[in-house]
Amino acid sequence: MKRRTAIKIVALSAVASGFDAVGANRFPSSAGMGWSASDYKLRFFTAQESELLDQLMEMIIPSDNHSPGARAAQVNLFADLMVATSSVAIQKQWREGLKQMQEEAAKSSLADALAKSAAQDGHPTTDLEHFFAALKRMTVNGYYTSAIGIHQDLQYQGNTYLTTFPGCPSPKVHDHGGSGATLDDAQGRALPQNPCTASKNLPRAAGSEPRSKWWAK
Amino acid sequence: MIAFGILIALKGVALFISHEVSRVGFVSALQLTGKNHMPQPPIYDVCVIGSGAAGGVIAKELCESGAKLIMLEAGREVPLNKFLSHKWPYELPYRGFRGEKQAPFYQGGVSSSIRYEDCDSVSVDRIRVVGGRTVHWNAVVLRCAERDFKGWSVDGIEEDWPLTYDELAPYYERIEQMIGVCGQDDGLEIVPAGKHYLPPLPWRCSEHILHRATKHMGIPLISVRKAVVTMLYDGRPPCHYCGHCMSGCDVGALFNSAVAMLPKAQRTSNFTLRQSALVREILVDREGLARGVSFVDTQTKQEQEVKAKIVVVCCATVESARLLLNSRSPQHPNGLANSNGVVGRYLHGHLGGGADIYLRELEGVPPFNQDGATDHVYIPRYNHLAGKKDYAGGWGFQVNFSSYMFPNHALRLHGYGAAYKERVRKMQPGYLMLGAFGKTEARAENRVSVDSHHVDEYGIPIPIVHYRFSENDLALWHDKNRSLMEICSNLKGEVFADFGGAPGGFASHEVGTIRMGKNPKTSALNSFCQAREVKNLFVTDGSCFTSSSEKNPTLTIMALSLRAADYIKEQRRKGGL
Repeated sequence: MKRRTAIKIVALSAVASGFDAVGANRFPSSAGMGWSASDYKLRFFTAQESELLDQLMEMIIPSDNHSPGARAAQVNLFADLMVATSSVAIQKQWREGLKQMQEEAAKSSLADALAKSAAQDGHPTTDLEHFFAALKRMTVNGYYTSAIGIHQDLQYQGNTYLTTFPGCPSPKVHDHGGSGATLDDAQGRALPQNPCTASKNLPRAAGSEPRSKWWAK
Repeated sequence: MIAFGILIALKGVALFISHEVSRVGFVSALQLTGKNHMPQPPIYDVCVIGSGAAGGVIAKELCESGAKLIMLEAGREVPLNKFLSHKWPYELPYRGFRGEKQAPFYQGGVSSSIRYEDCDSVSVDRIRVVGGRTVHWNAVVLRCAERDFKGWSVDGIEEDWPLTYDELAPYYERIEQMIGVCGQDDGLEIVPAGKHYLPPLPWRCSEHILHRATKHMGIPLISVRKAVVTMLYDGRPPCHYCGHCMSGCDVGALFNSAVAMLPKAQRTSNFTLRQSALVREILVDREGLARGVSFVDTQTKQEQEVKAKIVVVCCATVESARLLLNSRSPQHPNGLANSNGVVGRYLHGHLGGGADIYLRELEGVPPFNQDGATDHVYIPRYNHLAGKKDYAGGWGFQVNFSSYMFPNHALRLHGYGAAYKERVRKMQPGYLMLGAFGKTEARAENRVSVDSHHVDEYGIPIPIVHYRFSENDLALWHDKNRSLMEICSNLKGEVFADFGGAPGGFASHEVGTIRMGKNPKTSALNSFCQAREVKNLFVTDGSCFTSSSEKNPTLTIMALSLRAADYIKEQRRKGGL
């Protein structure tokens, strides 16, 4: 155990004797949510709709050499929960959007239907284009908040406890005008993990270990 | 040896938090437990309503001076170990998109018990939790400059404050030392500096790159001044650079009234904290002076009263105005201390609008941890340096206060598929964010009102917000946008501005509804935050502001509260209150 981790655990366990506040425990942990578990039961979409959603989302953020995509991150299940807990009007848009996408796909292919819906990305006018905007937003929101999106794709290094902040580890961008950290602060320090999450063995892609000397390549 | 020292100190602060803060609750419970005989309800020297930035200062100072003080807080305590700050999005039911991390602080449906009528795009941030909004904030603490107190003399708009920078400076100094502020003195008149800063936060690569651009343009960029301790300070452990200031600091390195102020009040044994106490109205005696308050216990729904010789209102701008307007009596038919109709008026705050920039220089570098303590640098107001404008006031930019975890540009980049996915990934390390906080004008027509037709679940009329930006605000907003795009044009990379077609507010910085002033016709308070018409009533939160500059208001709220506390102490000694 790293020293800093030990300190944190002492601190946290001592704090833990404060009494409970109303509402603080309102939110269950991921254990009860079944994000990646096979026991998630669809609450809004039908099995067919969910499968179509899965195909579309995987086309928007596909699996590649770098990392798994939207399918592996089960973004369609995230979408199901979000839509199931939205207004009836929004639910209707999703149901109709998927139906329209299906109809477009029947004319040629699902890939063509998606391409057509995305033709005016950023400036949607038709219903189909508006559906793409919602679909893409949902895919982005779900993927980049999944363990796969955060740890394997983006290889996000934060949400942890540091003893010092490395500042800017690259000498190239220093302009000698400010109060930035020195290079020594950042050299190859092994940083302790958040004790709350350290035991979870978060998935990491091969070669995703932090490299502190990226400027040297 | 040093490490051992930190261990002891950390252990100290943790125990201190767990014992002191939780005891706060037990004491208040005991206080209200009746015995067999009928005890006279205590008459407190002071009743403080609200436990945030303002209330914390008042409680600490007055309890330490020997006053028996009760603090009423509509919310309940959330202990630090219940904070959800470090949770990963996938550990939260809706991945954090529905404010789950902050939800424990917004108790009792507070966010929905408000109405907006005839409003531009503004929203008000109200909270119910012990510690108020200091429980989660970016904690940028800037002193107002001399000119910021002189709207009328300098710019010919609004009114001058009834006090000057020089009068407030000693209180700024004291409060900075009390709360622990990192930063440094950059010698700029527009952001007067203190003498006791903790070491500044190291700059990120993106901030060095930004500085290169602004230096070239003659725009100053300084280390941010922030109520985050960068070393062990006052029993608080140093910042651990997790980037979660806005979700709440789970170790108390970020200043939080519940961690850094209330335990000090508690230690005096003069302090009683009553949680879940939503104040219905301030009660008055025959002469129209405050004699206490009536409140509803939000857990039991029971109505109760507290008697006190002095009442200090610290519920934040909108709630404070609501409370005074709801405190009607034959002596104060228009609401408390409101015979001139000023209470609720002059609502204003900050306008926003910034940009996300993805710096080409950092594109494609292997990801590195940039979380830090949210803001590390600040661009103070600079538009006055190039001579007079055709509008009054200015703006500052806070930098990088948004999370590095989520790739915001993924929602703005066009396209999809493998190339899109790779582009998102490559751009992410270059993230730089500028967020403007611009002055808005204090105008009488912008206000909070109440209406007996719209009440909350306890039958208390809710606040109704009426707000329109002024011509001055719009002119400032346009010039700010132009200037921001000019800064961006000096940075190589992809720029996504978020102006929209019109300004938005208030960036949680709403102020002004129970203003202090020189003129009794256009203000409710004197410079000590004392109501002119009710001498034992004080309002020390942001509602007391005469006007607002571009600076974040909290440090000034705390300095004014400290000054009001000194005044109350002196008056109590003299027997004037």
